[in-house]
Amino acid sequence: MSATHVNTHPPVKDKAVPFDAKAPRLAIRNYSLSYATSNGPVKALNNINLEIAPGETHGLVGESGSGKSSMAWSIMRYLPDNAIEKHGAIRLAGQELLEMSPRQMIDIRGQRISMVFQDPSTSLNPTMRIGDQITEVLMAHRGLTKAQARAEAEAALARTGITRPKEMLSRYPHEASGGEKQRVVIATAFACEPELIIFDEPTTALDILTARQILDLFNRLREETHVSALYISHDLGLVSRIADQVSVLHHGDLVEHGPVDEVFNNPQDSYTRRLISAVPHPDRWLGVKKPETKEPLLSLDAVSVRYSPLSFKEKVLKIKPDESEIFWGAKDVSLSVRPGELLGIVGESGSGKSTIAKALTGLNDFTGKVKFGDIEVNGRKQISRDYRRKVQIVFQHPDASLNPRQTIGTILSRPLHLYDVVPSDQIKDRIRELLELVRLPTEYADRYPHQLSGGEKQRVAIARAFAAEPDLVICDEVTAALDVSVQASVTELLVNLQKDTGTACIFITHDLNLIRQIAHRIAVMQHGKLVDLFDRDDADAADRHSYTRALLDAVPVQVSLGVNETEHENV
Amino acid sequence: MTIGYLFRRLLSILLVLVIVTFAVFAITAVLPGNAAIMILGEYATPDAVAALEKQLHLDLPWYMQYSGWVSGVIHGDFGMSLRLSLPVSDVVGEAFVNSAVLAGTALVLVTIIAIPLGAIAAVSRGKLMDLLLAVFSYMGSALPEFVTATLLLVVFAAPKTGIFPAGGFTAPWESIPGFFSHVVLPAVTLGLVLMAHISRQVRSEMSEVLSSDFVRAARLKGLTEKRVIWRHALPNSLAPAVAVISLDIGYLLGGIIVVEEIFAWPGLGRLLIYALENRDLPVIQAVTLLLATVYALSNFLSDVIIAILDPRVRYA
Repeated sequence: MSATHVNTHPPVKDKAVPFDAKAPRLAIRNYSLSYATSNGPVKALNNINLEIAPGETHGLVGESGSGKSSMAWSIMRYLPDNAIEKHGAIRLAGQELLEMSPRQMIDIRGQRISMVFQDPSTSLNPTMRIGDQITEVLMAHRGLTKAQARAEAEAALARTGITRPKEMLSRYPHEASGGEKQRVVIATAFACEPELIIFDEPTTALDILTARQILDLFNRLREETHVSALYISHDLGLVSRIADQVSVLHHGDLVEHGPVDEVFNNPQDSYTRRLISAVPHPDRWLGVKKPETKEPLLSLDAVSVRYSPLSFKEKVLKIKPDESEIFWGAKDVSLSVRPGELLGIVGESGSGKSTIAKALTGLNDFTGKVKFGDIEVNGRKQISRDYRRKVQIVFQHPDASLNPRQTIGTILSRPLHLYDVVPSDQIKDRIRELLELVRLPTEYADRYPHQLSGGEKQRVAIARAFAAEPDLVICDEVTAALDVSVQASVTELLVNLQKDTGTACIFITHDLNLIRQIAHRIAVMQHGKLVDLFDRDDADAADRHSYTRALLDAVPVQVSLGVNETEHENV
Repeated sequence: MTIGYLFRRLLSILLVLVIVTFAVFAITAVLPGNAAIMILGEYATPDAVAALEKQLHLDLPWYMQYSGWVSGVIHGDFGMSLRLSLPVSDVVGEAFVNSAVLAGTALVLVTIIAIPLGAIAAVSRGKLMDLLLAVFSYMGSALPEFVTATLLLVVFAAPKTGIFPAGGFTAPWESIPGFFSHVVLPAVTLGLVLMAHISRQVRSEMSEVLSSDFVRAARLKGLTEKRVIWRHALPNSLAPAVAVISLDIGYLLGGIIVVEEIFAWPGLGRLLIYALENRDLPVIQAVTLLLATVYALSNFLSDVIIAILDPRVRYA
């Protein structure tokens, strides 16, 4: 290892040596890391100083590429071969981790430092029973027999609030829900009573309500065990609620750190300030003026999408299938969008919000009635070309929705050709106008999607939707894959486009704070049904559906900004 | 895997076999030339041809011929071999056992060698070992059987220096050492291509699994590298490998025809060539039907094995 050490402690060879109780659990000193690439070394972390006291939770905040994951791999000593550690020290309870042999690290991982990962559905081995995945850690580190380890594992699962721990032990990961799987990962991390646990975005892949439960679990276990935690996240609202200390990473530099309240109430660094102001806050209205008319532009009347296809028998004999066995992607959804309005649709994954988007754009067949101006549609096959032009959609992942082999110009020219929006000799000019509309340089017309950043690609996708000069644009989680600051600018762009063109918008999202900033009305979906539909101002009204209330309560709202912070907190 | 699924799957195999009986029967029936004339050769006097046609039921309409043959097959009666004057079921049955012994040996050899080789290559990715295994497997898949067979014969079965017989057969229930000395060269010839193929498959599956989140999670749980590789990574790489092996069974059945002929192994492949040369229609029909059955059943078997290896696979 090429690291030079500033180690004041004698090198510790024997792990039985009692560690220094006064030392911080984790101390990182002047640590720098870069990766060797064919274009020379790329800096990942620059002179990092960070300390975590016993029992303390330290939030590490940053956008993608900021180096927050590199920090985790450095602590775990799990760096790729091309990693170069220039200088610095990482000490666990006073012991220098950079000096540990791979063999010593095996003893430390899982026993003294453990980790909880982002996506529980990929971090558990799919072909191994859950019980075996917990007991193997106990057997490896605490030398327990299989039977002892099983008893321990059962107790550990029970501590994480799994109701039937014994039964869970014999299940495979795919037989457990996302929340249960994350509880299993957490139980495994806590199993050997480690000194430090690294949480790497543990709730990002989970649904809103499940994420809330996992956070509650984290808070409870932290109090019970006094473990120190490094909590890595891009979500400032969340970190502001759970961490004691916070550090902000930007391009590998630690730009700001300190107690949570201080950093969030009085940020010193300009990047931190920008990051904080980019976080959606429900009380900060960004949207356009509420439309005057109540006459609907588009209305859905009992629209249903059926996902279980008719079986061969049902088709041949024309028998009606048993109602209870049908899986409905959406069932009897009735709502309307007014001209110029922004209607938010929120709900957890699988609630049917994207299904509605697909039905409205003719990507899914449906039953029921859709009325759009004078056009009435009773199923996918009746959707006309005129309707398709007037109702456009933007998808979540621009990488998947932009053809990688076409230039941006070609991509934008397609709807112009298809719907004869402008005469063909004006298409070039129109593409330039469209790029200017979404605030991209006009020379981007000759570039390919892979040469653009994620936010820029999403702007292209938005420009394509607006190219057809639609009356309604459906945005399906368009900001979900983007970083906070990029998300804010894309949202702002959409709202401005709405202002300029008067286009109505259906904005589908799981981010309740975001939708409350821009939507005039919000529809809430659960299990394929529309359970609530309310004006933005009535979000806290007494007659809200219980599910709406649960969703609102589950979302952490960022502390500070002079906003009444207890507003949505009480469960 | 539900009982209903197994039942429906077996039913579909049965349907495939019914179609195969049609195909087999049609091919032999539409072969150019009168079968009776071909068989009789220079003795084909009109009387003799008429008599043989009657004996072979060639004078009946095709559907009568077909139903007669199928009802015989269902009762285990494939008719009499025209050349060997023995019941087809006896001839084919014996050859089938011999071929199964050869193919089975090759398959076992392939499985126990190719899977660990693939795993080792994946673990030492980019290193010398990986390169050597890559060279071996490219050579293995590039060389056709008759070339590998010739090379093996020159090296291991040359008249003076050879350690294995150049051909022939001893059943394992007659003499175990005799069987082994005879089976080594044909089994290796047969298995080489498959070994190359399957070790590459396991390697690519395994390298993908090694970079997956759950392998990283297993390492960060403080497990030893040995446990991570053999307990976490390898079991997740096997199911796709089994799918490839089952597709390779078809290749194996083709390879057996070449290899048996080269090494004078008295199995189905040799029998098929003999029967084709001599227009022994009942034998051709029986062997073809049998090979189709083996292929269909082995695919079914591999689906069952995959469901056992990967608990997420649930057929319903």
